[in-house]
Amino acid sequence: MARPRIAGNLSLVVGGAIVLAILLFALLGPTLSGYSVEGMDMRSRFATPTADHWLGTDNFGRDLWTRMSVGARVSVSIALMSVGIAVLVGATVGLVCGYLGGWVDLVVMRVVDVFLGFPPIVLALAIVAALGPGVVNLTISLAAVFWTEYARVVRSVTLAQREMDYVTAAVALGASSARIVFLEILPNAIGPVIVLATLGLGTAIIAESGLSFLGFGVEPPTPTWGWTLAYGTRYLRSDPWLSTVAGLAIMVTVLGFNLFGDGLRDILDPRGVAQRVRRTPTQ
Amino acid sequence: MIAYTLRRLALFVPMVAGIVAVTFAIMLLLPGDPAVVLLGEDATDEAVRDIRRALGLDRPWYVRLGSYYADLLRGDMGMSIFQNQPVADAIGQRLGATLEVAVVALLLSIVLGVLLGIAAAIWRGTVIDGGCMLFAQLGVSMPVFWFGILLMYLLAIRLDVLPSIGRGDPLLFALGDLLRGRPGPLLDSLAHIAMPALTLGLTNAAVISRLMRSSMLETLGQDFIRTAHAKGLLPPRITFVHALRNALLPVVSIIGLRFGALLGGAVLTESIFGWPGLGQLAVAAISQRDIPLVQGVVLSFAIAFALVNLLVDLMYSFIDPRIRFE
Amino acid sequence: MRAHLKVMAGALAAALALAAGSVQAQTVRLGADVDAGTMDPRVMRDTTAYRVNNLLYDGLVQLDANLQPVPDLAASWENPEPTVWIFNLREGVSFHDGSTLTADDVVYTFETILDPDLKARFRSLFTPIEVIEAVDPLTVRIVLKEPYAPLLSYLDMGIVPKAYVEGGGDLSSAPVGTGPLKLDSWERGAKIVLVPFEGYFAGPPAIDRFEFVVVGDNTARAQAFEAGDLDIIQSPLSPQDISRLAADDRFASSISGGLGITYLNMNVSDPLISDPALRRALAALVDQDTIVNTIYEGVDQVAGSILLPSSWAYDAGITQPAFDPAAAAAAFAEAGWSDTDGDGVLDKDGAALRLTLSTHSEDPNRIQALEYIQAIFKQNGVDAAISIADWPAFSAAVRGGQHQIALLGWLNIVDPDRLMFGQFHSAGTLNWGKYANAEVDGLLETGRATIDAAGRTDAYRAAARIIASELPYYVIAYQGYQVFHTDAVSLTPDARGMMRSAIGMQ
Repeated sequence: MARPRIAGNLSLVVGGAIVLAILLFALLGPTLSGYSVEGMDMRSRFATPTADHWLGTDNFGRDLWTRMSVGARVSVSIALMSVGIAVLVGATVGLVCGYLGGWVDLVVMRVVDVFLGFPPIVLALAIVAALGPGVVNLTISLAAVFWTEYARVVRSVTLAQREMDYVTAAVALGASSARIVFLEILPNAIGPVIVLATLGLGTAIIAESGLSFLGFGVEPPTPTWGWTLAYGTRYLRSDPWLSTVAGLAIMVTVLGFNLFGDGLRDILDPRGVAQRVRRTPTQ
Repeated sequence: MIAYTLRRLALFVPMVAGIVAVTFAIMLLLPGDPAVVLLGEDATDEAVRDIRRALGLDRPWYVRLGSYYADLLRGDMGMSIFQNQPVADAIGQRLGATLEVAVVALLLSIVLGVLLGIAAAIWRGTVIDGGCMLFAQLGVSMPVFWFGILLMYLLAIRLDVLPSIGRGDPLLFALGDLLRGRPGPLLDSLAHIAMPALTLGLTNAAVISRLMRSSMLETLGQDFIRTAHAKGLLPPRITFVHALRNALLPVVSIIGLRFGALLGGAVLTESIFGWPGLGQLAVAAISQRDIPLVQGVVLSFAIAFALVNLLVDLMYSFIDPRIRFE
Repeated sequence: MRAHLKVMAGALAAALALAAGSVQAQTVRLGADVDAGTMDPRVMRDTTAYRVNNLLYDGLVQLDANLQPVPDLAASWENPEPTVWIFNLREGVSFHDGSTLTADDVVYTFETILDPDLKARFRSLFTPIEVIEAVDPLTVRIVLKEPYAPLLSYLDMGIVPKAYVEGGGDLSSAPVGTGPLKLDSWERGAKIVLVPFEGYFAGPPAIDRFEFVVVGDNTARAQAFEAGDLDIIQSPLSPQDISRLAADDRFASSISGGLGITYLNMNVSDPLISDPALRRALAALVDQDTIVNTIYEGVDQVAGSILLPSSWAYDAGITQPAFDPAAAAAAFAEAGWSDTDGDGVLDKDGAALRLTLSTHSEDPNRIQALEYIQAIFKQNGVDAAISIADWPAFSAAVRGGQHQIALLGWLNIVDPDRLMFGQFHSAGTLNWGKYANAEVDGLLETGRATIDAAGRTDAYRAAARIIASELPYYVIAYQGYQVFHTDAVSLTPDARGMMRSAIGMQ
């Protein structure tokens, strides 16, 4: 890779610092502010930052710092869980297809084609509509959109590795399929998968906001960032502060995950396997 | 090459069959009844039963799915429940608008992305590089609907330089008018499409600019470029021409996937800018449980996406003769 | 070539207009929230179709600003006995295709609506009709199965040309009416363009072109209006945009009582909610004032009962329980609910007071109102959860009586019957919670069968008083109707959003 090491590390450091800061904010935020996440005060709606309310208040006069902090927990959990499920499902499918090949591969890859054919947000939206809103259902719908990326990257790594001499040798020595798959092939896929997953976290956070905008997010009073942003834009003209805070929080967090993922890429996936299957931020 | 194309086209068949089945399954799982949506919440149960029979919704699911496949084989996508017209017509009226904004967004993002990528690579390590890469990072980190709304506020309301919503004449017609010496419609169409295309293309431009930068840097570091330098061929021009041609390859390779993303992104962008395309139709159809229309819209998205990917793969082999299709 | 001709014709018309010196070329652009589904008035469902068809077609009657029926295609009518109505049609009215209106067209229109195969949404409004017949080419007779006072209010239904439809004409995309405007072009999902019908019986309208421009998002539509891309916008609007637009001196604005309510549907078939004492206690926790004046920013009006202020039956003296947490606490205690285990949630016989509030995802303001109600419920010991689903899923649940307390609305209440008979009569088709009260049944039957206005008023007021006390519905707000327009347009607000006044009619 022509890109110098230092740039990669810089991404890693800056991205890592942002992610760490967000995690700390999520963990400590409510304790620091001392406000309850659902405590309304209709007399001080849309306050801009003050000594009492460090980030101001929302449309119900609730402390925005606390809401954003708890919202970080929700948004990051949705992102982690949806990407986690996608990785598990995708990697399993990819390994099986890549290793077994033949008609299994042929059939399963057609299933992947089917999922790729759906516009991502339409698929996610339809699934949320079918299951009903909520953290778990939103997670499932995002996982249903994301898993194909991991299936494709793991399959392509597996296909490449399967033909390598050391695998052929292991087979000749009588190693079991499970052993070959998990000890010889899988480790090669871990790098690209981690890179993809890190970038996928940002995608998930953005996707949650898009679904909220269309009315298919998590139901209130759960404070998700997407919902706050979708709501805040309704008040853009009179009280732009609310959407600005939510929008910037999303932007900075996604930026953090992306930088971190880029940094990891230079270390874990120097050939850019992940790059070739990554389709899109889902919006 | 023809054999390869045919084989790829043959793969459309299982994809279409699968997409129909998955869409149908999801629509069956959706709570809510199109007959009730159709009649309104003040409908009597008797009226709902009558409509369900008239729409064929009372048949078992496998009969409905089977008859949909049979109709599809004859090229019939059925009647939309809410649009009072065949699904094919409803899609035909909207497809052009979506393809238009997606293609303009794609072109815009390629031009923008490639230029920024080249600039960043040439002035690597400078403020220019930093600025370009900051754009690239922020471009993929910003929720598109937020960007769209801010853009509309700035350009249509504050500065009042662009129309906030809607579409002008279709670009192709407007181009025809221009050829006949009337530039008005084209200007109007371009003014209308500018914000939706920019909103839709933002993420894409960011992705392409990064890819372009790294691929340009890589190419500039390769032997044949160094050789060209060593031979004393004109540095700026040759560097540019040689490197650009090679550096564009990876960009072309992702255009297929990116176009899919653009089509999907149309859902949000269209609802912000009142763009009369398939994206808005998709959301409306889902929220009305208009099953035949959802099927039709999803299928058109999928086929458009698959066709563009095929086209890109073929184009790729054209640009880079080293690629052979097995 | 045709385009050229059109341009030339247009230029000629403009030149003539200039020469005449009085008429000005005028296009009116109205922002619509949805595209019309059809241009056949018999099967229309959405508000845009309703409003477009009102310009394309005429009914036997029109409803004036006070919702009183006034002559339109029917020059006059009589009601010789309670179940018989006779309409005398206007002479020499022609359709857009040049054919002449006769009684057959009127009969055909309603007969096809009553045919279940047409799938007409408003069929149930006309099912009390026993027979409709043409007495002569200009006289229509309607015989009812039983006296049905609301009928006249529903006869603004557009009349369609029988010969055109039977000859294969497709009204849904190529409408032919007798109305002041006719269809010029329809770009689906984007724009409907109407132009004057020169042969309109009352003379052509005062504008040159009327456009319905579709912008789905309320905020985007308001922005387009501000940017000068629209001339008229009307409810539904985001409350957040209203005060800003109202303050803008470029625009004329008008707010008036609408024809809708926003209410809590309390499911009386639910084991918990079935207790009227509990319903009254919960109702005292609904802060109507904040919801209406803060969340909806004062567009709507705090509601007192099921009768609308715009209705002839309205009585300000009928009231539901008002917001009063202390009274609510007392009412809970009286109903047997108290916090015995000190966990902040009321309980009774060992069961905590938990319930679910539901609404639909399409309306962010309803979600906001529900979120606010939930917070106050929680503060006062009611552990409420929120459930949000999109409209089809939500309405399926409510129709099935699977909800506990649902926030939703009713529109187009041109007659009290429309908001009460189906909803509260024990055999009513819209009585999803199976509310049953013999006295209410009797009153609603009286309201339907009595033609005399005073008798109807008494019946509906008595029923409304019972509803306000037993609370199968808790009416939060009377929906307001808001319209903004530029100075170029002159307009008399119509609560149904009809646009006849914007084209110089009436």
